[in-house]
Amino acid sequence: MQSIGEIQKKVRSANQLRITNSRVESDEELLNMTSYSGIVEYFPEELVITVKSGTKIKDINKTLEENKQALPFFIEDSEKTIGSLYSTGGSDLSDNVLGVQIINGKGDLLNFGGQVMKNVAGYDVSRLLVGSMGKLAVITQISFKVLPEKIALERRNKKNKKNNPSSLRKEIEKRLKDIFDPYGVFV
Amino acid sequence: MSIISQLKKSLPKNIIISGDENTRPFECDGLSVYKQKPLAVVLPNEIKHVKKVLEICRKNKTPIVTRGAGTGLSGGAMPIKDSVVLGLSKLTEVISINPVEQTAIVQPGVRNLAISEAADEYGLYYAPDPSSQIACTIGGNVAENAGGVHCLKYGLTVQNIESIKIMTIDGHELVFSREDEGLGLLALMTGSEGLLGIITEITVKLTKKPQLAKLVMAGFDTVRDCANAVAEIIRNGIIPAGLEMMDEFAIKASEDFARPGYPLESKALLLCELDGSEEFVNIDIDKVLSLLSKAQSVRVSESEEERLLLWKGRKSAFPAVGRISPDYYCMDGTIPKRHLADVLEKINDLSKYFSLRVANVFHAGDGNLHPLILYDAGIPGELEKAEEFGNEILKLCIEVGGSITGEHGVGIEKLDAMCYQFNDAELDVFHQIKAAFDPLSLLNPGKAIPTLNRCAELGSMHVHHGDLPHPELERF
Repeated sequence: MQSIGEIQKKVRSANQLRITNSRVESDEELLNMTSYSGIVEYFPEELVITVKSGTKIKDINKTLEENKQALPFFIEDSEKTIGSLYSTGGSDLSDNVLGVQIINGKGDLLNFGGQVMKNVAGYDVSRLLVGSMGKLAVITQISFKVLPEKIALERRNKKNKKNNPSSLRKEIEKRLKDIFDPYGVFV
Repeated sequence: MSIISQLKKSLPKNIIISGDENTRPFECDGLSVYKQKPLAVVLPNEIKHVKKVLEICRKNKTPIVTRGAGTGLSGGAMPIKDSVVLGLSKLTEVISINPVEQTAIVQPGVRNLAISEAADEYGLYYAPDPSSQIACTIGGNVAENAGGVHCLKYGLTVQNIESIKIMTIDGHELVFSREDEGLGLLALMTGSEGLLGIITEITVKLTKKPQLAKLVMAGFDTVRDCANAVAEIIRNGIIPAGLEMMDEFAIKASEDFARPGYPLESKALLLCELDGSEEFVNIDIDKVLSLLSKAQSVRVSESEEERLLLWKGRKSAFPAVGRISPDYYCMDGTIPKRHLADVLEKINDLSKYFSLRVANVFHAGDGNLHPLILYDAGIPGELEKAEEFGNEILKLCIEVGGSITGEHGVGIEKLDAMCYQFNDAELDVFHQIKAAFDPLSLLNPGKAIPTLNRCAELGSMHVHHGDLPHPELERF
């Protein structure tokens, strides 16, 4: 997938789609995001980087290193794509998300949040979708807050997630899934 | 039976306020140009009362406006017609402090500053510091995702809370925590402006008090030199605790008001605070000083008294401006910092166009602008002119890739501006999220998210489509 248009077309025409960020063998119809990659915008003095979701973390690291900056959250495997980390991520990653561009289950391209540190316009969808496991929308682009290396590395603590199952929470998550993916495309 | 009678029947009478005169103190929040009296105000002193209020309002399909201290600046806590105001300011218990984990569990009515006061004996404090911190409540801070002058280094509210307890409109309790697997529901609730649920308990993160804080003050000949200095400081790997800018008008007003000793000959003032261990603060100060070659004047605070005095000018900028104008309107846009000087020039052009003065104070480190538009509500049409000016500033913010609100929230104030920032499909997602939590739309309805109709009526003013008003003004 090279372009937004192609991804939208694929989402609209698919009955069921599994979003993947690795080259896996599977019988299901796959939406492989690894080729949708690259740094969209980076201004070191803004402490903000915007990347396409298929970008490998090591490539982001390389760009940031040139300016002695780094992503300020825990990274287990920098061979993975940033989209994959976002979709499984937790609060430390979420703290540094500033905005996302997504394609919902209807194939609409939507933007939430932005490229600025402070932004309280509308519900915080760009942090809501952290940890959404590719089940609500295709994440196409993410903006992150970055920090000078020394400070960023101090903040990289691994945090374990806890299962917090309640029937009401599950019900809320289901309703939210229906908003973004009303036809149940993303599996 | 009227809803007031029903409330009085089920709740202690002394927590219910009704009647035209009695509800007057609650008719507005910090955005006092808009006023509306509610049917009644309930001020629970126990959480179980909250549940009862929700039950009665649900049965009567009466809207509920949750309120903290009423210090918000966007009308988020302004009552809606025929609503019940649920004021949580009496729920003021600091339930526990855990100095090892560096957390505190508090009720929603605890004041922001009261948390830091309670944590002081452990050498800890609550970092987010909105200007209203002496009065505003933590529940309101979470509902608005409040910021402050130290966000660049310490984050907004969303980065400084561990978990919250909420009550849904149906009276069910839920806990959303940072560690939860699944969707980011804690972040979704933060900044949801009272539309999704009632926040009944908050676990906040506490931060170790820095050993030392020092403030560098620098005056510049031009705004551009000052903005460039901000970029240079950050590009050189320094994250100041606070990084603030003021324009000429704001410098003069603050100096007249608080006498901090600001350089009156400067066109722009930079305040840069470094905090941490003594060793690192001094290293950073030297680095910052080496980057201020274009400054006309530079001063470093030599004592805690001096540091606080220099801050006092900046922190009293709003009342200082309030003294020289009958009314002022405070804006809250954010922009990428690299556009700072250009945006300020445009704001000054707009100021001439509208014949309204403007004083600019910025959280420069995070690109958060607070232009203060001076006007006189006593002159017919002047408030509307100030609002139109404000809307033009917000459009500028969007045009350069920023946001219409950095920390004050949308409330009722920026409903129109929301139409510039989001398209119909995005707004529709917001409406559906609201419906997922509150299908009858009883929690603060009509706030924060504009209807698609409202945006359609404004359609010709959309920044990205159609014609803009005042085409004679040059734009980005």
